Amino acid sequence: MTVPCRRSAALLEPFTDGELPTDKVVEVETHLADCSCCRESVELNRALKASLKRAVTEESAPSDEFARRIQRALAAEGKREAARSERREAADRGRPLAWRFIVPVAAAAGATLAWGAFEQQNKPQADERVLTSMATSTPGVTASLDEMIDEFVSHHAESQTPDVVEPSLVRKLEPEVGVPVRVPSLQQYGLRWEGASVVPVRQLNQRAASLRYSFDGHRVTLYVYNSTQFPLRATLEPRVVRNMPVYVGSRRGYSIAAVEKRGVGYAVATDLDDRESAELVVASLH
Amino acid sequence: MKFLSSLRPRSDEGDFEREAVQHLGALLAVATRMTRNSTEAEDLVQDTLVKAMRARGQFEAGTNMRAWLLRILTNTFINRYRRGGLERAILEGPDADPLADGWVSASTMSAMRDPESVALRPVLEAEIREALDELPEEFRLAVVLADVEELSYREISDIMGCPIGTVMSRLHRGRRLLKARLYEHALGMGIVGPEPVVGEAEEPVNLAAYRAKRGAAR
Repeated sequence: MTVPCRRSAALLEPFTDGELPTDKVVEVETHLADCSCCRESVELNRALKASLKRAVTEESAPSDEFARRIQRALAAEGKREAARSERREAADRGRPLAWRFIVPVAAAAGATLAWGAFEQQNKPQADERVLTSMATSTPGVTASLDEMIDEFVSHHAESQTPDVVEPSLVRKLEPEVGVPVRVPSLQQYGLRWEGASVVPVRQLNQRAASLRYSFDGHRVTLYVYNSTQFPLRATLEPRVVRNMPVYVGSRRGYSIAAVEKRGVGYAVATDLDDRESAELVVASLH
Repeated sequence: MKFLSSLRPRSDEGDFEREAVQHLGALLAVATRMTRNSTEAEDLVQDTLVKAMRARGQFEAGTNMRAWLLRILTNTFINRYRRGGLERAILEGPDADPLADGWVSASTMSAMRDPESVALRPVLEAEIREALDELPEEFRLAVVLADVEELSYREISDIMGCPIGTVMSRLHRGRRLLKARLYEHALGMGIVGPEPVVGEAEEPVNLAAYRAKRGAAR
């Protein structure tokens, strides 16, 4: 049966494009056998297709230089991706690690991730660059430094009424201590502010500020002092917490952890374990 | 670090790069026809591949990667050059214009072909890029995807975000304009002779009128 031209004409392009179902292909082929006009139309469509393909692909074949440029762009994107996921991991690591500081602030959903970071933090730290820089800066151990640590621990053990309770007035301790003093915000870790005092370190004829907090029935004392006068790192053991060098030790059942930043020392004394103290002292810098 | 990075597989990175680069020619061909500028085309391809790499998790393995990349390229092109989407088809009037191809006689159609090969006469082939570049973008993209990239109607409809019927209509109208342009050229070259347009409902494709309309619409 021969189909009328008008009907088959609508099928000619899909026929040329290979988009017709089998029964329609048979219909068109039957018609083409009888109709030279439609046959020519299909041939012209094919010629147009072939010429278009050749004209377009010949003109825009990618040069070797362009191919190299694309490979460089993709490699750079791969590096950026790696850096982004590194940063995400670093941000995850940056969370407080000890679970007891997390529970009051983090919802259960965050706990799994934080636990992963916690697990991983307990493994030996790979940041050798930091540890090396810590090891090279150890001056001679002096008896007076031990004395100062003793002073801190003794002061921590005592239950004293703070000199200053109002946090905004704490900076007035600066002339006494010789370094800027501010109250770090540690409520997010469940620590409650109690007040500040000045602690004389008799042996060295210096003073430190003591900032006292309570945490779940434990006392936490943060000392702020001039670290060029008291290089605590000389007597404590170096460790890396959240990419910060921390100096950790223990005296009389209390743990003490210290960091130094721009000539100011921060030391935490607690009866918590030394990992938690190290976490807290790093948190107090942020 | 091990613990967290294990959650994000990234072993597929090199595989993706290797496969994507194989489609560089296809991407560049389409980009060049769409931007009509080789520098912009190269930038468009680079942006497309970087985007694709970021989104490679969304690529369904086993499907046509070239079509997937071309969809990203098309969207990137639209976003960058045509904030309002592809330019609307300017040819007003019924999309219901007869699909009949009987616009010239069989002998004229035959004269436009190269008897030696499945192709147009070489003098017409030289015109073809220019003719293609004059098409409205929607038609041009449909024609390039179908005739140069040889994608299926279904794949083209995915890439262009329109129904298959619309793809067919754009293809038909694009090709009709191309043929009309090439016929004009063949006429000027004396390859074919003038002839009355056949078919009562068939409007002659009037390229001058079309260009005038197109210019007015800009």
